[in-house]
Formats: sequence, structure tokens, C-alpha cells
Amino acid sequence: MKLLYHNITRLLLLFLLAGTLGLHAQTPSGGNTRQLITEAILSSGDEQKKKISELINADDVALTSTILTKWRKSEVYIATDAGDKKVPYTLEEDKPIRIDNGQPLTLPQGSAVETDGALRKAIASTLNLLGIADPDPKVRQGAVAKLGGQQKAEYVPLFKARLEKETNAQVKYTLKEAIAITELADASPEIQTEALKTLGSLYSKRSGDLLKKFAGDPSVPERQAAAKSSLVKLENYLSFCETIETMFRGVNYGSVLLISALGLAITFGLMGVINMAHGELIVVGAYSVYVMEGWFTRAFGDAGLQWYFIAAIPFAFVNAALVGLLLERSVIRFLYNRPLESLLATWGVSLVLQQSFRYIFGPNNVPINSPSWLIGNFTILDISFAYNRIFVVCFAALIILLTWLLLTKTPLGLLIRAVMQNREMASCVGVRTAQVNMLTFAFGSGLAGLAGAFLAQLGNVGPNLGQAYIIDCFMTVVVGGVGNIIGTVCSAISIGVATQTLEQVLQNSVLGKITVLITIILFLQIRPGGLFPTKGRGLED
Amino acid sequence: MTQSKLPLSSEHIAIIVIAFLGIVVAPYLNTLPPTSWLYISDFTLNLWGKYLTLAILAISVDLLWGYTGLLSLGQSLFFILGGYAFGMYLMLQIGVLGQSKSELPDFMVFLGYTQLPWFWRASHSFWFSVLAALWVPALVALVFGYLAFRSRIKGVYFSILTQALTYAACLMFFRNDTAMGGNNGFTDFKLILGYDIRAPETQRALYIITATTLLLIYLGCRWLTSTKFGKVQQAIRDSENRVLFSGYSTVSYKLFIFVLSSMIAGIGGMLYVPQVGIINPSDMAPDKSLEAVVWVAVGGRGTLVGPIVGAVSVNALRSYSTTAFPEYWLFLQGLVFILVVLFLPKGLVGLWTSIVEYISKQEGGLRGVWASVMESLMKRKGATK
Amino acid sequence: MKKIINFLKAGLMILGLAATIHVAHAQEDKDTVKVGILHSLSGTMAISETSLRDVDLFAIDEINKAGGVLGKKIVPVVVDGASDWPLFAEKAKQLLEQDKVAAVFGCWTSVSRKSVLPVFEKNNGLLFYSVQYEGEELSKNIFYTAEAVNQQATPAVDYMLEQGKKKFYLLGSDYVYPQTTNLVLLEYLLSKGVPIENIGGGLRKDESGKVISAGRYTPFGHTDYQQIVADIKKFAASGDACVINTLNGDTNVSFFKEYAAAGLTAEDCPVVSFSLSEDEFRALPAKDLVGQLGCWTYFMSIDTPANKKFIADFNTWLAASNVAGIVKEKRVTCSPMVLSYNAIYLWKAAVEKAGSFDVDKVREALESGTISFDGPGGKVTFTKNHHMTKNVYIGETMANGQFKILKTFEQVPGEPFLKGTFKAK
Repeated sequence: MKLLYHNITRLLLLFLLAGTLGLHAQTPSGGNTRQLITEAILSSGDEQKKKISELINADDVALTSTILTKWRKSEVYIATDAGDKKVPYTLEEDKPIRIDNGQPLTLPQGSAVETDGALRKAIASTLNLLGIADPDPKVRQGAVAKLGGQQKAEYVPLFKARLEKETNAQVKYTLKEAIAITELADASPEIQTEALKTLGSLYSKRSGDLLKKFAGDPSVPERQAAAKSSLVKLENYLSFCETIETMFRGVNYGSVLLISALGLAITFGLMGVINMAHGELIVVGAYSVYVMEGWFTRAFGDAGLQWYFIAAIPFAFVNAALVGLLLERSVIRFLYNRPLESLLATWGVSLVLQQSFRYIFGPNNVPINSPSWLIGNFTILDISFAYNRIFVVCFAALIILLTWLLLTKTPLGLLIRAVMQNREMASCVGVRTAQVNMLTFAFGSGLAGLAGAFLAQLGNVGPNLGQAYIIDCFMTVVVGGVGNIIGTVCSAISIGVATQTLEQVLQNSVLGKITVLITIILFLQIRPGGLFPTKGRGLED
Repeated sequence: MTQSKLPLSSEHIAIIVIAFLGIVVAPYLNTLPPTSWLYISDFTLNLWGKYLTLAILAISVDLLWGYTGLLSLGQSLFFILGGYAFGMYLMLQIGVLGQSKSELPDFMVFLGYTQLPWFWRASHSFWFSVLAALWVPALVALVFGYLAFRSRIKGVYFSILTQALTYAACLMFFRNDTAMGGNNGFTDFKLILGYDIRAPETQRALYIITATTLLLIYLGCRWLTSTKFGKVQQAIRDSENRVLFSGYSTVSYKLFIFVLSSMIAGIGGMLYVPQVGIINPSDMAPDKSLEAVVWVAVGGRGTLVGPIVGAVSVNALRSYSTTAFPEYWLFLQGLVFILVVLFLPKGLVGLWTSIVEYISKQEGGLRGVWASVMESLMKRKGATK
Repeated sequence: MKKIINFLKAGLMILGLAATIHVAHAQEDKDTVKVGILHSLSGTMAISETSLRDVDLFAIDEINKAGGVLGKKIVPVVVDGASDWPLFAEKAKQLLEQDKVAAVFGCWTSVSRKSVLPVFEKNNGLLFYSVQYEGEELSKNIFYTAEAVNQQATPAVDYMLEQGKKKFYLLGSDYVYPQTTNLVLLEYLLSKGVPIENIGGGLRKDESGKVISAGRYTPFGHTDYQQIVADIKKFAASGDACVINTLNGDTNVSFFKEYAAAGLTAEDCPVVSFSLSEDEFRALPAKDLVGQLGCWTYFMSIDTPANKKFIADFNTWLAASNVAGIVKEKRVTCSPMVLSYNAIYLWKAAVEKAGSFDVDKVREALESGTISFDGPGGKVTFTKNHHMTKNVYIGETMANGQFKILKTFEQVPGEPFLKGTFKAK
């Protein structure tokens, strides 16, 4: 049986090679690449698809891949010369280059070539075949995975040939996986059983459905047993990955909470001001990012998109701090002794601010493009880590560090702590409490602005953004223990992890959140002061 | 404030007159032919019915905030719980008259239910539902209040926790899987006790019931706040520790008032549903509780007239401005709120009181003020000449 | 003193009464006819609904310039539902009982329509509703220019099956439209031979263990899609999968950002969205979405003279408009807008056929099956079941926020009652 299989594959390989050679013989060698691609671009319908599939035979593999990739992204354009002849070209560093001869385009520029799903599929399959030999291991891996999923026996020789040459461990893994998956479509149960065992030892995530299918098929007991044991292996492995991933999600969700709540921990925790407009200060930060993005893209074009965010971070901080300053001077300073009323007045402020956002930026959400270094992810085992999430975690850590330094190591920090601990006493020894209040409030508001800058990279930016976070922020601060930065950190991370874990376990987004809220309420009955209550001897009333 | 010793003070007369106007005259004017200039349309009467249910909610907020110093941001939860409890009855009354022509409420048919969930089954009974509108909010308030007051949660923390509770409940009710209608809530009611709920007569009757209930609640609260119990309650507001050290169990006092106010809110919700014709979880969003607090603040906290005045005037303003200048409603609401908190801590009622006090301090009362205003005007005229 | 307070109370009641009566002041005019426009112009739904008000006003101006309806000029009465559902009912009452409008064009969310429905039935009003919805409803007082489930969801699934997709992940916001759509889709997919284990997002079972519904739901305003995207990634790992997305408007931003961050692309696992139109795209970073699919009965990119003229005229109108707070720059047109526009013209046609503004006569005309209009999205015709027969388009997102039309289903009749019509093989 095995022998026959090998013979067949050898035969196939031969045919394939012969076919390739044959085609090569027909076309003049060297420089046919550009011509073939041009023909493919200018033809249409089934003819076009056939031409695309033949591009695997083009001489210059790298060039073919580059142009096909551009084509797929609709970055191939067509200009028309005086004789109404169509000339396709691409942009290289913003300069138009003709595809047919590689020379700069002298004609007036035209419009992009339209692509549709079917065309892109054809391009993708050619790219995949080309991709097996691509210098970039990531491309090789992706190509192999896609081809493996098609379960076509004729690809197996290609995979095997590549496997011998391959040096990259991940690509090797994917090749083995692709071979095994393809072998599952084989007629012989023995080969299938072997393949199932291989897949099990590979912990192949991609084959989950196939394993399930075979595990549920009792016609060949041996095969079923192999499938079952591989499935168990796979599932254990996946649930391990899932746990780690959930933890990571929890930590980064906690970091989002932390960044959002830190400002509140300052204004509410240290100053006792209930700022219901905190959410709107977050929105100020988010809109600052939007404005900055607009300025940068206008000034530097697409390059601006890479760096605007760096400039937007301080900008968001300053804007929110200024709004906070204004708020403190105009409303809050009259209400330091009336916390409940400060809650109501700031809610009024939040309504006014919301409507102002609508007035200035329109009622719609505004789009924000993330810089490319925040997009994408990397994978360890089967756990993926998105760059923007990692950035959030690091940034949260940085902000905490800076806040802590400010509060403990600077003269201003000393004054802030003095005023928070005992306003009258501080005032008696000559601290200008009104000024310290103002600065502290502005600082807390600025932190809210930073939170907004981040949330802008993760989701919507619109007038209602703040509303979505305000209750979570309050909960985080209250659980942490009012007036305690470390407490806020602990509570944010624990709420984050708890929420994500419950969501994962319950497979339901809302029930998780409700459970966390109820738990918090119950927790506060046991520890009304939060995780780290402020100790005092006074009897507050 | 001096209390009159006469059996019928001018204040009593005022209450009787207003109650008479509200409960008897207004519905009567509704029955006049539309051509009459005194005619009150069905729309207006219904709108007033809605305002009055909101006034009941406002009283429940004030009973806690104005009289006991507990700012509860969970009153809209109790209001809506009452509404849902009664709404379940109304939903079941629709029966086969609904879109789906099924005994089950429409939304259950949409979601593929084939039988009524267990907690719906008793709602076929009118009286059960009316009682449920009272005990369901009361139970929630009892459990939450017991836990919160026992661990001495107060002030801002109490506000934030009640808000969190409301938010959790709001998320719960938004879920379609809760079998309470999800985002759409309950609507399209047809019958109440066998009467067509949309008929003007039924709506008029509902209005009269609402106005009467409001009157009774007002009188009840007035009585309560004047008893010794009410005095303790206000003492808790002013200094809880002193009350505690005087040997009173403040927990029981606060718990009682919290449960009572939740029941009042529940009654408000129960009356709100049949008149508005829809109830859904967006009415218990955290913002709604704050709005109710606004009404009290605008009207004047710590008085019983204040919440009524506030609820009615703010809502009338809202009805008006969402037609006249929709874009500015939030601006207006926000600004009114900030200004009231900053400059009118006692609300409209307080403003009126201070004006009256100012006038009564002037020689010759109102006439004296008039005279001095005229005099100063004359002077200025003379000066410009 | 309290006496005075009580007088104040009386005074305020009277003031309040005066205010409400003031609202009610009706101006009778022989040469005009009033219609109501009932949308949220403030609150969360203002994002979407403001555009519908704009296009309504545009259509009315256009008709008035052309001579009005039956020789009468249309006067729009614009009211704000403020994203508050009981307020929608109140405003509907006001329009019908106080302003006595001939017809109302409005609502966006299902819940707002449900809240005004009893009001329209009681007063025998006429409501034109123009946003995709879940069906399972047929009121004699409502005409649905909206897409029914078989004018969006089922054609989209047909298209995906045609593309060779075998696994379907159902994701939606937790409200009645996604719930009902997914219920119908579950039946539809099973009837097309898709095995139940290939339907992702979770199944809901009743007490006896029978599957009654499917799909994963998130609340409005949900911002954290990490877990769901991870779930989809796992689901799509074995290939040939797609996501059927009924998430509401702005939660899509968080979802698609997460989707892109996780490395999922339209080629691995395309997302077909039903609630994401050109208007919503204005708020989305379009790059994250290239290649994802949409299904509507109108796309701005439809290449017909009628559509081009519509877009040009609308923009000219916008530029000249002096409606307070109207957004003039970067405006687009989308399906709900065009369906609103169609609604006004269809009402006009029906009134002209009936020769009267009387609701019963207009309804009779609309139900006759002859009222049609060649709108920007092609010909639309009202049928007896209060729904429209119209073209359905499948489109693919391009980087400029427009859709490229991939497939057209000609003249699909809208059918509100679909549940239980598709039987598993």
C-alpha cells in the first residue's frame, strides 16, 4: 500500500516537473515575468484566472509575488497611452513604474484596477504556491497552511521537497501538519491513522475539526482511537493556551481600567470629589488624538500616521488637564465640603460637555487610524499577543510609576499629600490649599485624558464614550480603597482578570460583568474600606 | 415655620383646592367636547398622568435624600421593578390579541419559547401583580439595605453602590435570555382588567388613580416626617453618630425608610407603565436615577412639595424643549442642574421662600417693596434727566 | 409660609399646563399638509437617526419645489425622540393627536417602533419605517420600506455558501433584530444542509434540550471583544469559515479593531455585516475593513443615473440647508436614508392615487400593489403585506469606505414572517 502511494506521488511529481519544464520551453527565458503579469492584468474572466494560475512558472518569483500582492490590495493602476493601449503600473515610493518594462511611467496616471473576491482568491492561490519558496518564513508558513487546508494530494510532494530544504522550525512544523492534514483525505485507513497520530503529536490546532470528525466515526476502531487520543491531547493543550490567553486579556483589560480609573483615584480618592464628568475628560483625551491625527496627516501625509500618536499623548494630557482646571475653578471649588452635591453638579457638567462634543465634532463617532506599529500581534505557542494590548500594559505601568514618583518624590507631591491628609493643618502651616487643589484636580484630569488617548486606539471615539467607562472607574477606585494608588492597581487588575475569566467560562459577555458587579457589591459589605482602607482615628460624619 | 392650630389652616385649604383641581376638575374638563376652550385633550391629560407618576418617584428620592441624607441612585431600579411586575400582568392580558396570536407574549414567541417561564405564571392575577410591584422592590431594598447599612456604608459610597446595583440590574434586564423582553421590554398592551387600555376613559381613570395615589403618598409622607420617627430620621441626616450614641439603632431606621421609599417608587412604576404604554431597561440606566435626583434638587430637597414641583416642571420643560429646540435640551438640562446646585441649594421652593421672606421683612410687605422699587425707578429717571 | 409654597405649586401646575397647551397650538392652513418626522436627534441614537431626518427634509423640499402633493405644500413637523423610548410614544401621540399629521416618517430601533405602534393603531395613523428589521410584525398602520430578513440575511448566506463557506459564526447585539435574524438563519442554514456543529457562537436550548436559537450576543456599547475574537479565531482555524455580524452600529468599531489586531482578515474569515452602512463607515478606520462584506438594498456606489442625481441633489441641498446643527461635510448616502427617501415618494404616489390624505384611502392605495417608485436603489414596489419588493445587493468594502457591488438579487419581495418556514432536510 505504502509503496503504491509513493509511486503515485513520484509519478505526480514527475508530471508536475514535466509540465513546468514544458512551459518553460515554450516561453523565451528571462524577462518573461513582466510580460506574463501584464497579460494577466489586462485579460478578464476565466482567461484571467488561468493566466494567474500560470504565473507560478514566471522566472522572477520575487517580482511576481510583489506585483501580485499589490494587485490583490488594489494597488495596481492602469494608465492609457495615446493609442488607447492600456499600461498597468504600480507605485514604488510614490513614483509610477510600468509593470511591462519596469521603466518609470511617462503617461498621465490612471485609476486603480478593481478586484473582486474570486479574483483575489485566484491571486491568493498563486501567491501561496509561490509562497512555498518565499524567502520570508512567515509567508512560507501562511502559504503552506492554506495549501494544506485544501487537502489536495498533489501538493504533498511539494511539501515533502520543501521539508528537506527547510531550516525554519515553524515552517517545518506547518509543513508536517499540512502533510498530515492532506493525508487524512487519503483512502487508506492506515495512512489516516498515522496522520491522526502525527497531528496529535503536533498539537495541531488547525486540525481540530477533522480530529472531531474522525473521533466520531466508528467505522475503523483503530482510526477512531487514534483520533480520540489526539483530540484529547489537543484539547488539553488548547485549554492551557486559553488559560494563559485569558490571563493576558485580564491583565490588559485591567490596565485599561487602571488607566481610566487612575485619574479618578486622584480626584475622588485623594480629594473626595465625586467627578461624574470624569468620563467626559476621557473623551477630551480621545478627541485630542483625533485632532492630532488630522494635523499630522495633513502636514506629513501617510508618514504622519506613524508618529502622530506620540505627539497626541502629551496633547491629550494637556487638553484634559486644562478642561479639568476650568471645571475646578468654575464649579468644583465651591463644593469641596458638599461631596454629594459635587456629584450632581459634575453630572450636569458631563451633560453639557457631551452635548458640546456633539456640537463640535458632530454626533457621529470619529474614525481613528492606529499607527502600524500598534497593529498586529505575535504568537508564542498558540497564544497571540496583540501589540496594542502589550502597549497598554506597558503604558499603564509607566503611568503608575510616574504618578507614584510625582506623589512621593517631588515637592508638589508632598504638598498634595499634606493637603489630602489634613487640609486645615496644611493650611495652617502655610500651604496654599486652593492652589494645590487646583493642580491636583488638573493632574487627575490629565490622567483621564491619557486614558482617552488609549481608548481611542481600542474602540469608538464619540460623544458617549465616557459613559461606558464611568461606573467601571468608580468601582475600581472604591474596591481599591479610596485614597490609595496601590489599591487601585490591585483592584483594576483583579477586576480585569475576573471579568475576562468569567466571560471565558460562561461564554457570555454580560453575565460575567453582572457577576463581577454583584461580587464587588458583596465584597464591599465585608470590607467597606476596599482592599486597602485608609486608616484613621477620626470619626467621620 | 409655625404650625396653625386651627382645624383647617389655609395650608390645608390649599391642598384641598389643588387636589380637587387635579383629581376632579382636570378629568372633568377632559370629558368636555373638544371645541370648548376649557377642554383638556386626552394627550395632555395622559402627559400629566405620566408627570405625576414621576413625581411619586421624586418623592421617594426625597424621602431618602432630603430627609435621611441617603442619596440613592437606585430609585429608578425600584421604579422599574414595580413597572415590570405590573407590566408582566399587562403582557399576559394581551393574550391572543398580540402580533403572534399566541398565548405567550410576542417576544417569547420570537425567541422560540414554547411555554411560560415559571416566574411569569403567577402574573395572570391582577392583585398578585399589584402586590408584586410593592414587594419585589421592597425585597431588593431590604436585602441590599441590610447589607449596606450593617457595614455602615454611607454618603458617597452608598450612592456609588446603589448606582452599581442599578447598572447590574439594567444589564440583566437588557439580556434577552432573562425572558423579560430584553431591550424592547414590554409594550403593545391591550387590556387592563378587561378594559381597553388605550380608550380615553381608561386613561382618564388611570389619571385619577395616579393623582389620588400621589395625594395619599404626599399626605402619608407628611404625616410620617412630622412624627417622632420622622424627627429621628432627620437627625440621622444631620448627624448619624450622635443619633447612634443616643441609643437609637440607626440601621433599622435607615432600613425602614429605604424599604418604604422603594415601595413608593414601585407604586410610581406600576402606575407609569399602563399610561406610557412601554417599559424597558433603558429607563433604569444610571442616568435615569440621576435625573430623578435632579428633579428633587430643582424642586427643593427636604420638602415634600419640592419633588412634585421639580418632577413636573423639569419634565414639562423636557417635553417642550424636545419639540422646540431638540439640540439644546442636554445643554439646558445640564446648565439648569449646575446652576441649581451652585446657587439654589434649596431649589425652586427655597427660592420662593427666600423671596417671600425678603418681601415680608420689608416694611409694608409687598406694597412696601413695590413702593421702594417705584421710588428707585423714579430717582433714576430723575438722575438721567 | 407653607400656604405660599402651595400657591407656588398651583402656579407651576398652571404654567406647566400652559406650556403643554402651547405645544399643542395647531395652525390650520388650507394650502399645506403636515407630516411628522420622528427621529432621535439627541442621545445615543442621534448618530444614525440624524441622517434620516436630513434626507426626509430633503425629499420634502424636493416635492414642494415640484408642486407639492395634491397641490398642497408639505410642512414637516420635526420632533426629537431623544433616544428615549417612552418619549417616542409621547411624541407620536403629540404628532397624531395634537398636530394631526397625515403621515409620520420615523424610528430607527425596533424598540422605538414597538413603543409607538400602539399609538398609531389607536389613532389610526400612518408610519413609514425604513430601517432593516426583524419582521414577525405586521401592523395595518405601519408600512415597512425597511429590509426584511429575507432581503438581507438569507441572500447573504446564499452568497457565502456559493463562495464555498462551510462554517458560520453568528454574532450580534443583544436585541430583537439580531436574535430573530439568527433564529431564522439557524433554520435556514440547517435547511441548506449545514451541520449544526458548523454554526458557531453558541446554541440556546430549551428545557427539553431542543435547540431554539443560536448566536453570541453582546450588549449595546460593549467595548471589549477580545474573548469573542479569540473564540472566532479558534472557530475559523480549520478554514472555510465566515462571521455573520448583526452587531449594532458603533460596537462594530471595537469588534473590527480587535479582529484586525488578532490577525484575522477578510480572506481567512470574511465578516458579513447587516448593520454597517456607508454612514457608519464614516466613523470606522476603513483600512481595517477592506474586503469585508455587507448586504443592503442600496449602496452609494450603485452606478445608475438616478443614483448619481440623487447624491448630487442631496449634496446641493445640504450645502444650501440652514437646518440647525446639520453636518454638511463628508456626507454619504446609505440604505436607511434611501429607504426613507423612497418612503416619502411612495406616500406621495399613494396619496395621489387615492386622491386624498385620508389614512384608510392611502392605505388602500398602498396595499393595491401598484404603488412603486424608481428610487436611487432601483425600482421599489409596495405589496399587500406592507413590505416592498426591491433589489438586494451584496457589496464588499473598499478602502474609501464605499462598497463594491459583487452580486445583485433582482426584485426580492419582502416577507415579514419567516420563522418556521425553512425546514431542515
